[in-house]
Amino acid sequence: MSASEPLLAAQGLRKAFGQSTALDGASIAVAAGEVVAVMGPSGSGKSTLLHCLAGIVRPDEGRVSYRGRDLTACDDAALSALRRGEFGFVFQFGQLVPELSCVENVALPLRLDGASRRDAERRARTWLERLEVGELAAKTPGQISGGQGQRVAIARALATEPCVLFADEPTGALDSLNGEHVMRLLREAAHDSGAAVVLVTHEPRVAAWSDREVVVRDGRTRTTAPVAS
Amino acid sequence: MRAWARELAIGARLARSGGRGSLTRVALTAVGVALGVALLLVAASVPRMIDGRDARDAARADAASKEARQRAGDRTLLVADANWEFRDRDLRGRLLRAEGAQAPIPPGLDRLPRPGELFVSPALATLLRSKEGALLRERLPHPIAGTIGDEGLAGPAELAFYLGSDALADAGARRIDRFGADVEPEGLDPVLQALAVVVLTALLVPVAVFIAAAVRFGGEARDRRLAALRLLGADMRMTRRIAAGEALVAALLGLLLGGLLFLLVRGLARDVTLWDLSVFPADVTPSVPLAAAVALGVPAAAVLVTLVALRGVTVEPLGLVRRAAPRRRRLWWRLALPAAGALLLLPLVGAGDAASGSGGEAQLAAGVVLVLVGIAALLPWLVEAVVRRLGGGGVAWQLATRRLQLDSGASARVVSGIAVAVAGAIALQTTFSGVEGDYVTGREASGDAVADVWLADDGGGRLGGGAERLAAALRESAGVRGALAVEQLEASHGTASEIVRVADCATLQAVVPVGRCADGDAFLLDGMTSLRPGARVRLGDAVAWTVPRDARVVDFPGTEPAQGAVRSIPDPVLATPGALAGVAVPPRTLLASVTLDETTPDAIEHVRNAVARLDPTADVFTMGDRSYRRQYATLRRALFAGAVAVLALIGASMLVGGLEQLRERRRPLAVLAAFGTPQSAIARSILWQTAIPVALGLALSVLAGAGLGAALLRMVGAPVSLDLGSIAGLTAAGAAVVLLVTAASLPALRRTMRPEGLRTE
Ligand SMILES: Nc1ncnc2c1ncn2[C@@H]1O[C@H](COP(=O)(O)OP(=O)(O)OP(=O)(O)O)[C@@H](O)[C@H]1O
Ligand SMILES: [Mg+2]
Repeated sequence: MSASEPLLAAQGLRKAFGQSTALDGASIAVAAGEVVAVMGPSGSGKSTLLHCLAGIVRPDEGRVSYRGRDLTACDDAALSALRRGEFGFVFQFGQLVPELSCVENVALPLRLDGASRRDAERRARTWLERLEVGELAAKTPGQISGGQGQRVAIARALATEPCVLFADEPTGALDSLNGEHVMRLLREAAHDSGAAVVLVTHEPRVAAWSDREVVVRDGRTRTTAPVAS
Repeated sequence: MRAWARELAIGARLARSGGRGSLTRVALTAVGVALGVALLLVAASVPRMIDGRDARDAARADAASKEARQRAGDRTLLVADANWEFRDRDLRGRLLRAEGAQAPIPPGLDRLPRPGELFVSPALATLLRSKEGALLRERLPHPIAGTIGDEGLAGPAELAFYLGSDALADAGARRIDRFGADVEPEGLDPVLQALAVVVLTALLVPVAVFIAAAVRFGGEARDRRLAALRLLGADMRMTRRIAAGEALVAALLGLLLGGLLFLLVRGLARDVTLWDLSVFPADVTPSVPLAAAVALGVPAAAVLVTLVALRGVTVEPLGLVRRAAPRRRRLWWRLALPAAGALLLLPLVGAGDAASGSGGEAQLAAGVVLVLVGIAALLPWLVEAVVRRLGGGGVAWQLATRRLQLDSGASARVVSGIAVAVAGAIALQTTFSGVEGDYVTGREASGDAVADVWLADDGGGRLGGGAERLAAALRESAGVRGALAVEQLEASHGTASEIVRVADCATLQAVVPVGRCADGDAFLLDGMTSLRPGARVRLGDAVAWTVPRDARVVDFPGTEPAQGAVRSIPDPVLATPGALAGVAVPPRTLLASVTLDETTPDAIEHVRNAVARLDPTADVFTMGDRSYRRQYATLRRALFAGAVAVLALIGASMLVGGLEQLRERRRPLAVLAAFGTPQSAIARSILWQTAIPVALGLALSVLAGAGLGAALLRMVGAPVSLDLGSIAGLTAAGAAVVLLVTAASLPALRRTMRPEGLRTE
């Protein structure tokens, strides 16, 4: 990969669900280690764009390339393996497996990747501590607060040391104080591990934690200048 | 009280207006309850089915009156039995000959058949028309003049016929002037009766468990809705009653559906034959008290179950539903049930025969019920205790065990149903196979199949000619290796009587080594008869005969079992036809033993055809007491069918529970899919989650069932041996349920793990 080539790029994505067009020629490029905020009003296609970038949803038209590899040409098994090994995900809420404890939740993707249980849980614990929720390791998701749950989810997303972290409204269910705190932790942890972040949000205060913003409107992208920070 | 009613009504309204999810849950519960109710109603109809069958059987009884022998008259009818078998089915046949214009007509017929005319049951008519019945058609070549109506049949699938005959004579028939008997029909053997109690318990307890599980379908989602009510200011007691109202609606709906389902099943009854058992739809009518018990008991149980289930749940206004600090299940009362049952059963084991005392049966039934119900109570504790200690293993195993640890109750309760059914089934299978073992051994000793033929001969013709004719007819029949036929006469002297066997020298020598033999010789078996050469006896009613003075006393070397009656039961006096020369031929019995080549298909049917041509009222027996064995076999099969039905029912409720869990975990599962989790890992976790409780349940039920079976066998006095076949069969059925439930949840899993699940609700 040459220095100029982006880590993850998409061109001319089109995606329709029945009558409604979610993406109508969206393009985006994400460089390694970069935090890109995807902004836009509700229903503009932000989540769909993220899903296409992550290989969760196949676009009707257009091309997604990761490290020069065309994701739209990969089969489901290859995409699953890619997501397991190279991507991480944080969503708005309700993403932790309720019957597993926090540490087991964080260890889950590591174990799916082949790590032994002991090793996975040891690494999971250090990630929980980095996100300042080490004391919650033995609790189940039903016993912790929403903000704590988001931090556990971020720990889980970063535990596999992904190259790209996809975050869809990670602070959407939190109050602004909590949201700030979670964003700071996310940003720092991603920076430390060198992961690029695709951050979907409609809140400017959250987008302020990014290096750059991409605005989606009616399924089309408009790139703005890098945020001065 | 008013408040109660109001809150129940609110619950009922919520069930109706709670949106699609709520309707789905009510529908699920209703369908589950309906299945259970339909089964209960069928069970409640069993007394009526038995009564109806018995009543019709009594109405067509044609036993000769016990009073002094009736004279032929205007109102009398001669009847002879032609009870046959065809392949594995019984035929009830009667030869009829009216002796006057007023002769009685059997139930189900509008007139008596004229000589050579045949009236058949609808099932027999169908069989005779079919290709399969071609062989039987040879035995009944007569023109069919009509069918027997329902009131003359035990069940719709019964094979029965009435054949008019002009050959029927006084000697070989009964004379009657009416059909019907007042005598109580003999019921099941007391041991069988006790076993039937076990069967019913083994089948009905799981149905109850299933209904209880069905009432809780959708419980988690309902709890969430209740939380919303708490937010509106309902207190804890009110929410409970509202929940009870909702359950009541579902249960009543289920009751209604169950009634309809029952009617549907009832309509199909005519077409369903479980082996030899078939019932008329009209007989499938629940007894009134039992039906009332179902109609009142099921809704009451639904409310009760809901209230008990909610005891462990704290519904908080903020929508948070937390299990109240999980109470450990207590062991003592769960152990007390089976222990009490064992205490009741133990003294019976020593007694040797459960059927002896009248209190014994009640004690047996109570003991068995306690042990079986005890299993249902013990299992949730066992599952919880085991699951708590489970750890390690892969991701799928971890997900499964954690899910079970969070709430093992639901699956354990459902599995209790399986466990009770399987334990009961294994107990009974063990008992049946132990009892059955006695019959089978005789047959296995000889490699060939042997059949015995008995027929009455009215005494016409030449002595010895009947046996020759019979033997010749048998030898000509397809698949017969050999046949020996003899004639038997009853010889009385004083008050004693003995059997004189008449056959030619070759036949006599084939059975007893009599040595030198020529026509006119007679032999006495040493030690088996009190007759001496020269003794004077009466043959039949009146004919005088003197045992020849030159009759030789010979040794009988001993019997060879399973070679047929001719060989194994030698008569004490053997005579060649010449030894009775000059004597008027008295009535006699022909006896033949046939050795069959088992590789010839339907060899026994050809023999039966050949015999029926000579005399339709002849009896043909194969080794073993079939009718007795068949009673067991019928119970056994009914039991296996019931156990499989229960397993299917339980499987269905496990599936519903599993699907609900999937729905509840839609988001986390979709996120796991985004993370690249292979579906197979989640699928395996579902497999484990079902398999662990089922395996525990099977283990417990095999233990309890085998123990119970051994105890029952000891009571009947039979040697104790485990029926490994049925244990393996039921275990396989349990495994099949696990696999089916897992397979059936896969489509839902696939849907859940699609990216749509990521979208907010
Ligand atoms: N699976 C789907 N089925 C049908 N329509 C869909 C689906 N996913 C997205 N859409 C439609 O596509 C459009 C874009 O949806 P998307 O979720 O990408 O918007 P968004 O920008 O993420 O909105 P929000 O800020 O509210 O999350 C919407 O009109 C939505 O209704
Ligand atoms: Mg979105």
